[in-house]
Amino acid sequence: MGLIEEVITIELPVGESFRIQRCRYAPKKEEGIKRISIVSGIHGDELEGQYVCFLLGQWLRNNPDKIRGIIDIYPAINSLGIDSITRSIPFYDVDLNRIFPGSKNDFLPAQIADGVVNIMKGSDFAIDIHSSNVFLREIPQVRIAKSQEEILVPLANLLNIDFVWVHDAVTVLESTFAHAMNTIGTKTLVVEMGVGMRLGKAYGHQLLDGLLNLMAHEGILDIEPLAVRMPIQSHVGEVAYLNAACPGLFVPAIEHCQVIEKGSVVGHIVSALSGEVMDEVIAPISGMLFTIRAYPIVYEGSLLGRIFGKTNGDSQ
Amino acid sequence: MKRFDIVSLESPNRAPLRIEGFLFGEENTEGPSIAIVGAMSGDHINQLYVASGLVEYLRIKEEEGKISGRILVIPAVNAYALNMGEKNWPLDKTDLNMMFPGYAQGETTQRIASRLFETLKGYDYGIILEGRRDQGMCLPYVKLIQSGYEDLECVKDLGMGFIHYRPHEPVETAMLQYNWQLWETKAFSIVFGKNGSIDQNDTDQVHTAIVRFLSKRDILDFHVFEGHKSNILDPNRITIVKASRAGIFISKVRCGTAIKKGEVVGVIMDALSGKKLEKMLSPCEGIVTCQYAHPLIFQNSIAFRIASVELCCQIDAKRE
Repeated sequence: MGLIEEVITIELPVGESFRIQRCRYAPKKEEGIKRISIVSGIHGDELEGQYVCFLLGQWLRNNPDKIRGIIDIYPAINSLGIDSITRSIPFYDVDLNRIFPGSKNDFLPAQIADGVVNIMKGSDFAIDIHSSNVFLREIPQVRIAKSQEEILVPLANLLNIDFVWVHDAVTVLESTFAHAMNTIGTKTLVVEMGVGMRLGKAYGHQLLDGLLNLMAHEGILDIEPLAVRMPIQSHVGEVAYLNAACPGLFVPAIEHCQVIEKGSVVGHIVSALSGEVMDEVIAPISGMLFTIRAYPIVYEGSLLGRIFGKTNGDSQ
Repeated sequence: MKRFDIVSLESPNRAPLRIEGFLFGEENTEGPSIAIVGAMSGDHINQLYVASGLVEYLRIKEEEGKISGRILVIPAVNAYALNMGEKNWPLDKTDLNMMFPGYAQGETTQRIASRLFETLKGYDYGIILEGRRDQGMCLPYVKLIQSGYEDLECVKDLGMGFIHYRPHEPVETAMLQYNWQLWETKAFSIVFGKNGSIDQNDTDQVHTAIVRFLSKRDILDFHVFEGHKSNILDPNRITIVKASRAGIFISKVRCGTAIKKGEVVGVIMDALSGKKLEKMLSPCEGIVTCQYAHPLIFQNSIAFRIASVELCCQIDAKRE
């Protein structure tokens, strides 16, 4: 059984404390061993990671003799947000994942960020589990800034995910948890999967296998590596974005994670008022629909989906 | 005065979003040009008030033939949020002032930012009226971030008491000020007030400072009195007073108050028992520039920011 601790505690104004809890699993001898942090709930409306934390905790409770490193599970970083369906830090309405590494001398969300970095400092690895947002449904994927590609892609390939997306770094992403941790030497992967405010059991079990496999490879668990899937690598193709051409109600025509042909219909934008079909959303390339809109109300520009296709337009 | 739509965006069910601009002066004038951007968030009511007040003021000045440059005022960027008590874009909660320079083929708020930015490009000067990003209120000050293209000298023409001049943070690279500077507009922000309210004293100060700037930069032909010789601050000159306990927060001072070391600046009481938990003392002599503005305070929150006389003296002495 893991050791449950409150690692960050900050008094709230009226008879309560904000807290971040950790469940630590460790072997009896802790010297010279590796440490991994499993992180979920930086955004309060993303719950897939909570289920993964449960599954991992359950596995570790059943297999204490296999533990060879320190495994820290943080299911709810933005604990106020998770218990109130609030993506940002409530009261301040600030996205926690845009203020890392934070500061002791700034407002409360920045102090939380600073505290989070400090308690996880020294981890060899961190897995930051997100579930997109309430608008989009994603297949299990890891997103990596190009500057970190060499170090992180081999690690991501162990995680039993479907897709590794290496992207050009945007300066604003320097304010994320992952960037802050990678900067101080903790190899940190960002997992995106599922959709906000919901959990998908299959994805949870898929990532659990990936986490066990990664920990087996790194000597944190004394088990045989698992047979995991090799993710599609973004560098072999291109990502096409489907943005709404007009406002309305988006009605998908196909399921998530389908392989589709260029020119096929992804969905329609319709008017609930007039009964008209306002736009037909067409796939601009052949490939895998790895993102699809889950929340149907759209404005012009709203993201409806993403397709990953080989550069020559062939499907995967 | 020309009133026109800079952005018009259809909504699934609401009336379209309109970002309106008010243009003063001759369009092809050789005089300097300036654009002033008001409320980008739904709780920036002070900023909306100053901008709309400027529209009315400039309308009269234009009728009097006093405008010698070109002035664009955009009182409200995020009318959708203002009209429903939201802070950010109501559907996806994105902050419009985190979307610059925008992307014409991107998400909704990236498109709004892109269309707005197309209009704002090319102005000589740019003023962004900003609220605070925390639960505080502050003495009106100029925020000038160092992008490599900023112009500290022109900002002094506002005659405001404080200019906060500092390196930019990563998150600010997606904000209007940084991007506007990169596109060679002398852009800066005026930060003031408490979000969600109107402070007549603060808004009057900001209005006067902008009129002074317009006059000194030959955009407005109108005599104004001199303002302050601005103090240039950076984070190293500010002392912070934090709340060691959470509870009900009672401030004993106002922004702008000159305080002595050891002076009581605030009190925190237990919200349930009423017991006094903390008497907050100023650690230095200085001027209160910002303070926490909500009656309930969190532990470790920053209650006061004080421009410290001692720190300023130390830094200036080292430079000499």
